[in-house]
Amino acid sequence: MINMTEAGQGLDKAIKVTKIDVALPEQEELERELHDFLQWLKPMLAVDTTGAEQVLNGLDTVNVMREDHVRQGNLAELQEAAPDFAGGFYMVPPIIE
Amino acid sequence: MEFEVVIGLEVHVELQTESKLFCSCPNRFISEPNFNTCPVCLGFPGTLPQLNNEAVRQALTASLALNCEIAYFSYFDRKNYFYPDMPKGYQLSQYFEPIGSSGYLNIEDDNGRPKKVRIGRVHMEEDAGKLVHAVGGDASMVDYNRVGVPLVEIVTEPDLRSPGESRRYLEQLKRILQYARVSDCKMEEGSLRCDANISLRPIGNQTLGSKTELKNMNSFKAVEKSLEHEIKRQYDILNRGEEVLSQTLRWEEDKQETIVMRGKLEAHDYRCFIDPELAPLELTVEQVEKARSALPEMAEARAARFINDYGLPEYDAGVLTSSRCLADYFETCLDSYNNPKVVSNWIMGEFSAQLNNVGLEADQCSFRPKELAELLQMIDEGVISGKIAKEVLEKAFQSGKAPRTVVEEEGLLQISDQSELQAIVEKVVNENPDSVEKYRSGTTKVIGFLVGRAMKETGGKANPRLVNELLVKKIEE
Amino acid sequence: MELRKVSIRQAAEAVNSGEVSAHQLIEETLNNCSVLNEGLNIFTHIAGIDALEQAKAIDRKIEKGEKLPLAGLPVAVKDDICYGVLPTSFGSTAFKEFISPYTATAVEKLMDAGAIVIGKTNLDDMSLGSSTASSPFGPTVNPWNTEYTASSAGAAAVATGVCMLVLESDCGGALRQGASHCGVFGLRPTRGRVSRYGLNTYSSSFGQVGITAISGENIIGALEIISGFDGKDASTAVCKDRPTGKNNVPDFEDLRIGCPAAAFDHLEPELREEYEKARQVYADQGLQFIDLDLSLLSEALQAYYVIVLAESSSNHSRFDGIRFGAAEEAGNLEELYCKSRGAILGREGRRRSIFGTLLLRKGNYDLYYRQALRIWNLVRREFTNALTYCDLLMLPAVKTLPRLSAAEPDFLDSWSDDLFCAPVSLSGLPALSLPAGQLQGIPVGLQLVGRPFSEEILVTVADRVVREVKFFPYGNS
Repeated sequence: MINMTEAGQGLDKAIKVTKIDVALPEQEELERELHDFLQWLKPMLAVDTTGAEQVLNGLDTVNVMREDHVRQGNLAELQEAAPDFAGGFYMVPPIIE
Repeated sequence: MEFEVVIGLEVHVELQTESKLFCSCPNRFISEPNFNTCPVCLGFPGTLPQLNNEAVRQALTASLALNCEIAYFSYFDRKNYFYPDMPKGYQLSQYFEPIGSSGYLNIEDDNGRPKKVRIGRVHMEEDAGKLVHAVGGDASMVDYNRVGVPLVEIVTEPDLRSPGESRRYLEQLKRILQYARVSDCKMEEGSLRCDANISLRPIGNQTLGSKTELKNMNSFKAVEKSLEHEIKRQYDILNRGEEVLSQTLRWEEDKQETIVMRGKLEAHDYRCFIDPELAPLELTVEQVEKARSALPEMAEARAARFINDYGLPEYDAGVLTSSRCLADYFETCLDSYNNPKVVSNWIMGEFSAQLNNVGLEADQCSFRPKELAELLQMIDEGVISGKIAKEVLEKAFQSGKAPRTVVEEEGLLQISDQSELQAIVEKVVNENPDSVEKYRSGTTKVIGFLVGRAMKETGGKANPRLVNELLVKKIEE
Repeated sequence: MELRKVSIRQAAEAVNSGEVSAHQLIEETLNNCSVLNEGLNIFTHIAGIDALEQAKAIDRKIEKGEKLPLAGLPVAVKDDICYGVLPTSFGSTAFKEFISPYTATAVEKLMDAGAIVIGKTNLDDMSLGSSTASSPFGPTVNPWNTEYTASSAGAAAVATGVCMLVLESDCGGALRQGASHCGVFGLRPTRGRVSRYGLNTYSSSFGQVGITAISGENIIGALEIISGFDGKDASTAVCKDRPTGKNNVPDFEDLRIGCPAAAFDHLEPELREEYEKARQVYADQGLQFIDLDLSLLSEALQAYYVIVLAESSSNHSRFDGIRFGAAEEAGNLEELYCKSRGAILGREGRRRSIFGTLLLRKGNYDLYYRQALRIWNLVRREFTNALTYCDLLMLPAVKTLPRLSAAEPDFLDSWSDDLFCAPVSLSGLPALSLPAGQLQGIPVGLQLVGRPFSEEILVTVADRVVREVKFFPYGNS
């Protein structure tokens, strides 16, 4: 049988990996919601999928490619969208490993 | 205790396409930051990747050139992680199904014996951008020019046993990929990058010791040096009875040593899944076989052809084909000066010496094959002597001027004017009565000495054949 | 001109013939928009002077004798579809002022045909939902009963007659449920028939651009304009291999409609009764019903959510505060990510990204994600199989009445609203949502699902049935 607690573990880690600030009350809610969600998914886990290959890709087609040609557009428009663009670079605060 | 060194290399090479892997931005180095960017490679919302067919063709070619089995059905996966150099928050990479696998290439081991190095996989992926850390450390700057540049990653099995083997593997890999015309493989420019996994184990042991990962080597030499350094470090640790920590190390070229970049090598969970936006790739047997037969001529085949068609010695053929651009240089030169052995001598001699001086490859210098041909023609025409020609080559190579211009500007034209030479010949005869006497009494070989004196008088510019003629005439008068 | 009473063909003819100018039409429409928007909160942005300028440009073309299939017709675009003239919020306050440097292919095609974008329509948090209840700009109110949400703002825009067509995204059924709750027609086309370039979708596998309009005729008119191969979206390659030309619509007596009776058991009795009545109307028109078993409806919904959550965690990773959108103040990179992403994504967005990350992690991947992909396969087979002996499938479009505007529904209840729509999304087949009846004065719609590229059949059947019966809320035009 599937161990639901195990699957639900690691919410903290998932929040960290997803890199999203979540306030403590929300995190507690998420804890409960995750539990409910995994309960909700139970029927899906019970489906017998033997003999059913996973869908690899929803596109019903292969080998869609473009020719190797160069095209360049307007850079100013792109760079204006950035919150912090200076001296030709996208700026980010210091990286602390 | 005696230890065995186990090395595996992961090499990334940039493919030589016009445009990036998933967008139409140029795949070309430019110093202006963020110039080669567009909504697609910057991961703007709503944009979708558009696969470059030439990149796929080149990846297939590389896989075939490395003797790989080809995946007839493959696709791209998303490798999810956050870093500012990766705009979408994931890298598109052939994680599950590489286009090439189970390949190999041949090198010589440290004892000169042939050795097969197995290649586990060859897969396509997109390059990341570049992070520049501002002075003072209060910000980092991101340049996305390189993001989305098509790469193939080539991963060996842990088959390499020494730094020397590793270097030879890289040299051979570079030669093959250059010949296959899929990458220029210039490590100094970053179009070939190499990470090394290295561990030591007691001889006879089958299980691998704990390994470290070496990064940031900027030349083949640095790969060799850093591996030597790391082997010694691990050896010392093991001999002290301690354990090697599984870490990522960074090679510091200035200090010739490694520093720890990241602690414990934890298998990162990239949560890979098949990209739902790109169509899978399907190859037919016919397509693969067509690509195989279209593989460009490789080094060995070309050397054999040079021997057969041009009558070159095996040694010459080997040197000329050691890099594709040198061999190309040779053959282009033959188009305008059809004397293979002479061209070969000059390329292997003076030309290569000049290249080595400045650390360039044959396709990077301004002294093109037609300039070399021009130089050789001037010798034949008697415009300059062979000796002067070496000087002209050096000056033309360094200044970027045409050989003929150098000859004119520097006044290096050979003296073939009989009246001018006559005076010199008379001077030489007068100043060396003993030698003249010896010649007259039958020791004719002293003529060489006298020609040399005359050449010296003219600073090498005299036409030696003419001087010889005039000297004999004068003495026998 | 009362836009709800005319077809796009008639309206365009009025403009093309000079009976009404595009400028007049758009000016009037913009005024109506502003008034309506105060009460209903349909638009995130209403176009201003630029729409009028475009209208003038259309009028000039018409004066020169040009005929345009959508001449001067007011259209709207959901705010997750990029249109480079107006801001695109994607359903996030951090993008309230974001002007995309590109325009979605479908929007471009509409404009090339003469249409004028009069506004961007409201949507859920990062368009994650089928109710607008989670919109950071507040829910859109149902024009039929202001206590309820409209489900889709685009459907409300069509229902109130301020525009003739709306391009909307549909992933798990937002477009179809919205059409149902507002008494209009909504088409989710065959996967790949309409380019998704410029649609910011959280699910690359299921997100699509669809059309909402007052009639099937209008929908098919627009579909002909916006569909077709687009090099910017690989999924549209399915259009290339397809023979052009229209589908022949069979005689009604020959049409077999597959109807999974058991599916209707999921409904509240009153709603079920409405659907029963609608079915009877179809039967009276001579359509034959075949009972069939779609055994995996709930499980398909669950699988859909597993896949969609996994994909949203990846698709939304690009929202990092570096290249676009507002960034939060941060002392270091980690903080920039966490604060900006926490602010860009709302409660629903955060939930989905975090759960999605969790589902893709080692250990969960096979258990949930791979299982979901297998179920996807089973569901596709079920639908495809059903359509081998049926020409069409009939399913409810909604499970309940729309959400109350003031309510904050439980997330699983909201997700469960997609019970009849999400499985159809898995099938990749075209689905049309159309009026079927009403409950408490609020329209109720059903879905017709057809074979790939059979949209013409769907709308022909829909228009004919709706014309014959009383439940069409706008009378019979």
